[in-house]
Amino acid sequence: MVDSLKVRLFKEKLFLAGIAVLTVSTVLPLFHIMFSIAANGVPVLIKGGWGFITGTLAPPGGGLGGIGPAIVGTFILTVLASLMGLPVAVLTGIYAAEYPNSLIGRATKTLLMVMMEFPTILVGLFVMDIVVIPMGSYSAIAGALSLAIVMMPYVAVYTDEALRNIPQKYREGAFALGLTRFKVVFRVLIGLARKGIMTGILIGIAKVAGETAPLLFTAGGATRVYFAGLNRPVGAIPLLIYQLVQQPYTNYHEIAWGASLLLMLIFLAIFLPIRLSLKEVKL
Amino acid sequence: MILAEKDRKSEEDALEKMTKMRHAIETVDLNIYYGDHHVIKGVNLAIPEKVVFAIMGPSGCGKSTMLRAFNRLLELNESTRIEGDVRVFGKSIFKMNPIEVRRTVGMVFQHPNPFPHMSIYDNVALGLKLNKLVKDRKELDKIVEWALRKAALWDEVENKLHKPASALSGGQQQRLCIARVVAMKPKVILMDEPTSNLDPISTKKIEELIYELKKELTVVIVTHSPAQAARVSDYVAFLYLGRLVEVGSTVDMFENPKEKLTEEYLTGRMG
Repeated sequence: MVDSLKVRLFKEKLFLAGIAVLTVSTVLPLFHIMFSIAANGVPVLIKGGWGFITGTLAPPGGGLGGIGPAIVGTFILTVLASLMGLPVAVLTGIYAAEYPNSLIGRATKTLLMVMMEFPTILVGLFVMDIVVIPMGSYSAIAGALSLAIVMMPYVAVYTDEALRNIPQKYREGAFALGLTRFKVVFRVLIGLARKGIMTGILIGIAKVAGETAPLLFTAGGATRVYFAGLNRPVGAIPLLIYQLVQQPYTNYHEIAWGASLLLMLIFLAIFLPIRLSLKEVKL
Repeated sequence: MILAEKDRKSEEDALEKMTKMRHAIETVDLNIYYGDHHVIKGVNLAIPEKVVFAIMGPSGCGKSTMLRAFNRLLELNESTRIEGDVRVFGKSIFKMNPIEVRRTVGMVFQHPNPFPHMSIYDNVALGLKLNKLVKDRKELDKIVEWALRKAALWDEVENKLHKPASALSGGQQQRLCIARVVAMKPKVILMDEPTSNLDPISTKKIEELIYELKKELTVVIVTHSPAQAARVSDYVAFLYLGRLVEVGSTVDMFENPKEKLTEEYLTGRMG
């Protein structure tokens, strides 16, 4: 009984140690991934130099060349997917927020949640069926459409949440000025929710910039041609990595590491500003 | 004879119309429900034009709910149901477009709610611009200044019109909200406990403002403070548990309340 305090303190320490171990084991894989990508990728980038970013793929077994077409492709796909997906997604989010109790509003919300968790390879299959097969070719359009479908639920859900988080007093204040619902939403509420909506948009973009599965059956990939037209196959960094790793050539594996590092840097370049800007979101 | 009767009838109609015209807001058997909850129970009220009319009562008596019915803001909440009628200058608001109602009957809220992402200027200009009530920038500038002067805020913000509204103090924000409403030139302004979140000095400024405003329009103010009702209002209605207990001129009611409930409320024994 005299030792009960000591015992309790010991238990407390044991508990904290347990939490620390679990935390480390959760975070460790992430650091391991980042470390191995950096450790393997940095030498490739140094060796390849500027040419690694601008050039085209080297022949099997012969040097590095560059992953220019994949970078251009990722850029084109992301921009195109944003053009297709963002307007629809933001409007969907607005609808879900403005009519939360209507049948369509509730159905929309549920569908968005399902879409967020939907296996993205099925999106790729779907687009292959409706675009690639009729067109007879992989294409930038098909790839972008897949990515747009993957992107939409994130943006829509963030838009919906951002609008719902606006305190009621601002909605009432806007309506009390005799504004139409359209103007209340588009001239007042969107402005108030802009940070949340922007966060959703950036998360959507970051998400699709790194997607592979929806592109497998749609974008086709390109390693030697930068861009041949929207109806022609196009490259993408994740797709390139996937394709290179399957090859038996060591130089291709090296290129894949370099491409991985670039992909990670692009992802961080989109994601870090989001994290930083999220801190200042307050209403 | 038939003619004469007809004349008399139309004369009566006109008379009736005139008596109605004198009322800025009138409620007829107003009942309001939140789902199954009966909040306002058969209220008949006539609010004369160009006065300050206070609606007082303890928290939860339905004051704010009733006020929100007057500009059809209550309808934003889908679970509410309104029975009876509310007339603004004799016209049923339920036969008007809600937008028209809200332009005639402006509102100032309990929590100051200028749009924090807009400048002071834009907050006042917004309603005018979006409702296309002004021709050009020059006219807009003029009305914005006029409204800010009306709200006794001009001198304090003259040099920072394009700074964000969120930088103002609570009392200034509330006066900005009054300017925002005044700029729309409504005939009635509803105020829902406009000073309950403000310090005494800001409260005094708003109350003086209310006194100025009634020269040109009707102010309906909801308050849980009998002292405030006594200070600012010409007429007062006492609402208790959704029922209208007593209504009359402020002087009469405070000096000589007819109902026991009113007396208890005014003397602080209840509320």
